[in-house]
Amino acid sequence: MSEVVFRAEGLRKSFGSLRVTDEVSLRLPAGRRHGLIGPNGAGKTTLFDLITGEVEADAGEVFLGGRSLNRAPPDARARAGLARSFQRNNLFPGLTVHENLALACALKHGIGHVFWRRLERFTALWQEAEENAGRLGLADHLGQRVSTLAYGTQRQLEIGLALVQEPLLLLLDEPTAGMSPEETSGILELLSSLPESLTLLIIEHDMDVIFGLAERITVLDYGRVLLEGTPGEVRGSDEVRRRYLGAAH
Amino acid sequence: MRERDPIQLPVAGLLAVIAVAAWFGAGYFGQELLAEIAILAIFAMSLDLLVGVAGMVSLGHAGFLALGAYATAGATVFWGWPPAAALAFSVAVAGACALGVGLFAVRLGGVFFIMITLAIGQMFYAYFFKARAFGGDNGMSGTPRFDLSPLGLETGDPAVFSALMLVIAGAVYVALLLLVRSPFGMMLTAIHQNENRLASLGCPVRRYKLAAFGLGGAIAGLAGALMAQHTGFVSPDLAFWTLSGEALIIVILGGSGSLVGAAGGAAVFVMLRDHLSDGSFWEGLRLSGDIATHWQLVMGLFFIAVVLLARDGLYGRLSWLVDRVRSAWRGRGGGA
Ligand SMILES: Nc1ncnc2c1ncn2[C@@H]1O[C@H](COP(=O)(O)OP(=O)(O)OP(=O)(O)O)[C@@H](O)[C@H]1O
Ligand SMILES: [Mg+2]
Repeated sequence: MSEVVFRAEGLRKSFGSLRVTDEVSLRLPAGRRHGLIGPNGAGKTTLFDLITGEVEADAGEVFLGGRSLNRAPPDARARAGLARSFQRNNLFPGLTVHENLALACALKHGIGHVFWRRLERFTALWQEAEENAGRLGLADHLGQRVSTLAYGTQRQLEIGLALVQEPLLLLLDEPTAGMSPEETSGILELLSSLPESLTLLIIEHDMDVIFGLAERITVLDYGRVLLEGTPGEVRGSDEVRRRYLGAAH
Repeated sequence: MRERDPIQLPVAGLLAVIAVAAWFGAGYFGQELLAEIAILAIFAMSLDLLVGVAGMVSLGHAGFLALGAYATAGATVFWGWPPAAALAFSVAVAGACALGVGLFAVRLGGVFFIMITLAIGQMFYAYFFKARAFGGDNGMSGTPRFDLSPLGLETGDPAVFSALMLVIAGAVYVALLLLVRSPFGMMLTAIHQNENRLASLGCPVRRYKLAAFGLGGAIAGLAGALMAQHTGFVSPDLAFWTLSGEALIIVILGGSGSLVGAAGGAAVFVMLRDHLSDGSFWEGLRLSGDIATHWQLVMGLFFIAVVLLARDGLYGRLSWLVDRVRSAWRGRGGGA
């Protein structure tokens, strides 16, 4: 087994009296495609929030590449190699697709603070943003403002912003939700073409997607890990079927 | 980026032409107004960087203007510094204080940010109100203007001074426009739109906001120094929140986030105030000259109308109009 790139140990989080994350631990070796499933409200998105630092954990620790991220705010975690797409589109609505991608590129290259040179002059950056748009199937929408895009197209950009970051660990929160079948298969193709070294943790309600993509799957229920195993083991588990798959199908 | 904000430079050019024409045409009083507009434009543009570009609505911006004005007054009158050195000092003091305030303020968002900036601005006001050395609530006079006699220019001449102010305002505009169009400026725009997502892409949002707040404060300090030179007088009213509010109105009236709109807004604001408060203007419209005493009411109605009819300000409406005309023209060209 290759080196562990990401590790979460004993994460806990409560909102008031509601325990949303309960002693969750997770180890991901480099290059792992890992699925995260569970019923609505199981705490999947919250687990992502804890990993990226958007929500502060009550207890537990998160490591990326052996370094503890615990005190780091979300932006520092992103620079350390975490990237995430959101369950609800979370974009820069007044900017164009090209500008959205260029922003992400500028931050990846660490030139966001440059104030003495016009952004327009960074031609390589715009080029890179354009290439990414092509890869994402957004080439036709380059100059369009995000707020004018169809939902599915926005969704593609949502994933695209995270991909541009070229992270160590990519977290995707229901990436294909609300997409048309063609858009979904486009994204799946894109995900399967990602570099081998990339580690992926993906939340998905579409079981065909998750069983097709993930090497291993963690099932969350009421904030706890119900099971972790191969897609076959998950599919075969009576408990998972009772708690989740039965309900979903 | 190609087509972003296509009317910015044409509008700036137009304003520059109007300013030059006004300068040639203006008499003594007109030159005073021009200088006032130029200084107010600098102040408004510095606020636009915070409000319109980065989305930080400050109601205490006049505090930094007052700091700049008092720093210039103190350095020239008490220490005998030349006005140019005092101006640099003003910019540094206001910028440093803005950084100090920003350290706390940028942690807050939305209405909390408005409240803390309001409170801190009022603290500056209270301080200057009590400051005996600066004349307390009476203020203090005697701030000299730049000495340009080596160049053969007499800054006591309103035409010379107003020209100088217009040049400085133009320089501030160009500098801010370059900033806004840099990667850093793009980050500020993105912070305005969605700061959480920007942070999740790796941007240290607070640090960027702090930098913008400090820079905005420094430029407000510059405007304050020039204002002290212009009137030769400083008073606590410079820090009062209503002046921050006026600048905010100017930014919104002109078109928030458009820079040149803030400058244009300053011109509209000063001209309106000047006309509406002048009895003969109303008599010229065959109305009672007494209305002039209620000019603030009329101005208020005007702003309400602007906010209702043009939420994106004069600049926003103009952009929209140009866009409309262009696409209609293009449509016709394509159809033919
Ligand atoms: N900020 C918050 N304050 C209070 N409760 C919250 C907060 N965020 C999430 N919750 C609650 O925590 C629980 C888990 O939410 P979470 O969004 O993590 O679930 P999920 O597994 O992603 O669900 P879904 O499949 O619907 O996206 C839910 O009951 C939700 O209402
Ligand atoms: Mg969720």
